[in-house]
Amino acid sequence: MSDRPPQRKAINRLLVEPSVSFQLVRPSTPEGAIRLLSQAGAGEIAVLAGGTDLSWDLDQARIAPIQVLSLGKLPWKYLRWENGSLVVGSTLPLRALELDPHVKRRLPGLWEAIRDVGSPALRSRATLGGNLGRCSPVSDLIPMLLAFDARVRIVGPNGAREHPVDMVLQESRRTSLGPAELIESVILPASGPSAYLWQRVQPVNDISQVGVAVAFVPERPHWHIALGGLQPRARRLSEAEAVLRSARPTRFEMELAAQEAARRAEFVSDKRATESYRRRLVAVLVRRAIQTTVERMPKPSPARKGTR
Amino acid sequence: MTRSDAEPKARGAVEYGTDLAAPHMLWAALVRSPIPHGRIVRMDLGPAREMPGVVAVVGPDDLRDLLPKGALEAERPVFPLDEIRYRGEPIAAVAAETLEQARAAAAAVAPELESLRVDARIEDIFPEWPSEAAAKDPRVVGHVHARYGDLDAKFRNAELVHSETYRTSGVHQVAIEPHACLAEVRDGTFHVRSSTQTPFGVRDDLASILGVPPSRLVVEGTWVGGGFGGKGAAFLEPYAVLLAVASGRPVKLSLTFEEEFELGRTTLPSIIRLDTAVSRGRIVGRRVRLLLDTGASLPGRDFAVGYSIGFLLGPYRTEAYEIEGFALQTNQPPFGPHRAPFAPQSVFALESHIDGLARRLGVDPIEFRKLHAWREGDRTAYDQPVGPFGLEAGLEAAARTAGVWRTGLPPGHGIGVACGFWSTATGAGGEARLRLRPNGLTILQGEREIGNGSVIRGLAAVAERVLGLPDDAIRVEYGDTATAPFDSGVFGSRTLGALGQAVEKAARSLAHTLASRVGAPAIRLEMKNDQVVVVAGRRRQKLADLLTPAERTAGGVVALGKHYAPERTVDASRVLAGTVYPYQDFTAAVHLAEVEVDRETGHVRVVRYAAFQDVGVAVDPPGLTGQVEGGVVMGLGTALSEEMLWTPEGRLANPGLLDYRLPRIRDVPPIHVKTIEGFAGAGPFGAKGVGEPPIIPVPAAVANAVADATGTRVFELPLTPERVARALKLL
Ligand SMILES: Cc1cc2nc3c(=O)[nH]c(=O)nc-3n(C[C@H](O)[C@H](O)[C@H](O)COP(=O)(O)OP(=O)(O)OC[C@H]3O[C@@H](n4cnc5c(N)ncnc54)[C@H](O)[C@@H]3O)c2cc1C
Repeated sequence: MSDRPPQRKAINRLLVEPSVSFQLVRPSTPEGAIRLLSQAGAGEIAVLAGGTDLSWDLDQARIAPIQVLSLGKLPWKYLRWENGSLVVGSTLPLRALELDPHVKRRLPGLWEAIRDVGSPALRSRATLGGNLGRCSPVSDLIPMLLAFDARVRIVGPNGAREHPVDMVLQESRRTSLGPAELIESVILPASGPSAYLWQRVQPVNDISQVGVAVAFVPERPHWHIALGGLQPRARRLSEAEAVLRSARPTRFEMELAAQEAARRAEFVSDKRATESYRRRLVAVLVRRAIQTTVERMPKPSPARKGTR
Repeated sequence: MTRSDAEPKARGAVEYGTDLAAPHMLWAALVRSPIPHGRIVRMDLGPAREMPGVVAVVGPDDLRDLLPKGALEAERPVFPLDEIRYRGEPIAAVAAETLEQARAAAAAVAPELESLRVDARIEDIFPEWPSEAAAKDPRVVGHVHARYGDLDAKFRNAELVHSETYRTSGVHQVAIEPHACLAEVRDGTFHVRSSTQTPFGVRDDLASILGVPPSRLVVEGTWVGGGFGGKGAAFLEPYAVLLAVASGRPVKLSLTFEEEFELGRTTLPSIIRLDTAVSRGRIVGRRVRLLLDTGASLPGRDFAVGYSIGFLLGPYRTEAYEIEGFALQTNQPPFGPHRAPFAPQSVFALESHIDGLARRLGVDPIEFRKLHAWREGDRTAYDQPVGPFGLEAGLEAAARTAGVWRTGLPPGHGIGVACGFWSTATGAGGEARLRLRPNGLTILQGEREIGNGSVIRGLAAVAERVLGLPDDAIRVEYGDTATAPFDSGVFGSRTLGALGQAVEKAARSLAHTLASRVGAPAIRLEMKNDQVVVVAGRRRQKLADLLTPAERTAGGVVALGKHYAPERTVDASRVLAGTVYPYQDFTAAVHLAEVEVDRETGHVRVVRYAAFQDVGVAVDPPGLTGQVEGGVVMGLGTALSEEMLWTPEGRLANPGLLDYRLPRIRDVPPIHVKTIEGFAGAGPFGAKGVGEPPIIPVPAAVANAVADATGTRVFELPLTPERVARALKLL
């Protein structure tokens, strides 16, 4: 057996590491990060959170930055509840959200969306900020954030601002952030029951053919339905939402909402699914997600149950 | 029992092909054709030679200077001398000081190319089912035709004829370790270290590609990070040797994952037509036609068709048949073996067909198979006698399990059965040298462990069983092709069955030598205080005390064992064109799958799985279970998700693991492995190989379960949700 000293393995890193060179900078304050971003020219600096998407872009030479700015040392890896809202620091690994029992109980749709991102290893690195920053049309998290009417807190040279997530998203790899701006956190307002359903060929490390997010929120309109897997980006489907009028829609209304969603969504055919299959999936999954959300509504009190 | 390679592998301490390194080594990169079919009009390698760090650049024009004349006459020279036959085909190669420099220089080569018509798919060659004259098409590079019995009469008088067409997709082996090798020239001899399943096979392939005698080549295997058929022939080695010759330095070449996909040597798509005639509830005749995409075929394409086509008759008695298969040269990368080459695909078609037929006749699918199943002494389609064969026993065991599963089967679930058979202990043969030392046994042979345990554990288990020595007193050692005894390779479920026989013979010869030395009819070995003890009845003697002075100096008692495969023949009068291949040793597998089908989306989930494997004798039960489980998991990929997707222009759309979907651990159901013992094979103690058999019935078992759950048959692999949804007419 030809065992050999481990240091010789170093040579193999050449094989797995992308052949790019850059300077890694790791500021420890948001101000420091923003200063570095402001100083850099266009395309010269790239922002790194978990790196699960960025490393791919580097590897494919889609970007060739001189500097890579890691957010790893910023104090943004938090999760807290404020007046019923959940505030998630942008660099908190998804795995932490997944393992938080309150998230699972209070925002089951969010938990479902997160639980099936990639694999446990991926979720230990991937972040919510990175998912928004990548702005993928097939993101599993964005539909749920849309359904919750989440807000995004952005910091930059001119201070902080907060916008609905819908306004921050543009298209694949494009957000409305300025060149020296960063996502600090995402705020999820208190919500009633919710559900997220997806379909993939495989459950783990595969891309959803479609994703369906449903939330029942306290204000009107109560029902929020958002879809992922559309071009150019995920979006809410108000036409389908409008079909649902009560907290306990009939099976017919659910079906109607699902049909409406399937009709309105802008799908394309690609190697992962044809347009007609995506439409079919939406017609099924929207109905199921509404059904699941209804099932998650607080049970009528036992007293009322007794009078049935 | 712990496998001796487990710990070093877990620590990352073993040297795989990708870990190869040598002092003063150069890194190589390939210049690959951007077009799938065409000619090189002009290729100036000058600019690449001027790039930083570049030491050598070689292209088609350099073959003449660097290699003997034979290299230009090889059926497939190192670089294409006439036509480029697939996108990504290497047309030149670069060696440089660093990998980045080599890749940069390769990217700088800008050949002027002339494009020719592209045949990307089978349908580009034969839009309609081919006629008699088809065999003359120059793109038909292999044609096999055989018949037996009065088929026309059988069809004319049949009560029922069941006719169907099946399609299968290209699947990749996806060894986690990419291909890798390192070549250097030492004293006029070419030394190649390579991650390969067949060191001797690579040596012989290299000899013909490079035009040098095998005696000037030495091939040494490294630890192999998965092969599955993809590392069974010379592949990267010729480029590395050529660059080593041109540069005078050791050269390492390994592929990226994307290159792994684009350079192929994988299973390619097929179209299979089956017509079966039935009289009085029995199958009386079958017509089989196969169109197999063999890509930019390499030598061996006849084999692809000639071997596959037999599986389309199945392990069933057949009164009359006609089989015809065409190997088609498309502008895809070359076809190559993938665990049980083409059997899972053939068997998907055949076993789906039989299942549908049984349902149509209103008979239980297991009973219907039992009615036709080969038993020992039956004759194969080419008139070979069938050896001891556990198919019927497997079907009976499966019937019992299916009965249990059937009670309380939830709605939306279905159960499918499928059978497969395989010929094990193949290959020309193998040799092993055993040396019994005072402190243990070493087995010297020519193979490296490829991961399945058949070398490091299987061969040791054979010696353990003959001699009685414990596992940790036995070491399996490797040599290169110059120092190790010959062996055909780790493929074809042959390591235990064939090379194992060489080890068994050598071990028996050692036992015999020692028995006569102690004057007993038989002996057994034991270890005591790290010393080998020879036990004969009540008598015990240290081995050290039984050695002659010369043996003491030489280090112990030596025995050479060899097993050369017995020649098997087929009835040539049944073969009208091409070659069909005889089977060596017969093994059967019966699988059961329970699936749940989402009737609204077409998504299939495998709920549980059972594999009944005819093994002869289980020499190493844990290793056996691992092989069967692994085969089933790999088969689930072929069944449900793995598929190479080509654009109409012939470009691979999914050259990576995100969209080429291997099964993940969450897709793996509980797998019950049951061995069928008692039908002895030719291997040691009657063992049969289990490398390939367990993958064979999987796609069919899953498809049959889907048909059971939904009443709808899917005629194409893999059964992705969208394909099932279409079959269910959901869109
Ligand atoms: C194998 C695999 C499987 C995957 N599966 C899924 C899946 O199932 N579902 C899914 O939705 N996604 C999936 N993804 C995508 C990926 O997990 C997510 O996009 C992830 O959330 C990205 O987070 P990150 O921290 O790694 O981002 P990074 O790669 O670090 O960054 C992504 C982009 O966002 C920018 N960015 C990061 N943080 C900020 C910030 N705070 N402010 C401004 N810009 C920022 C970066 O500059 C970069 O452009 C998968 C990825 C892989 C590799």
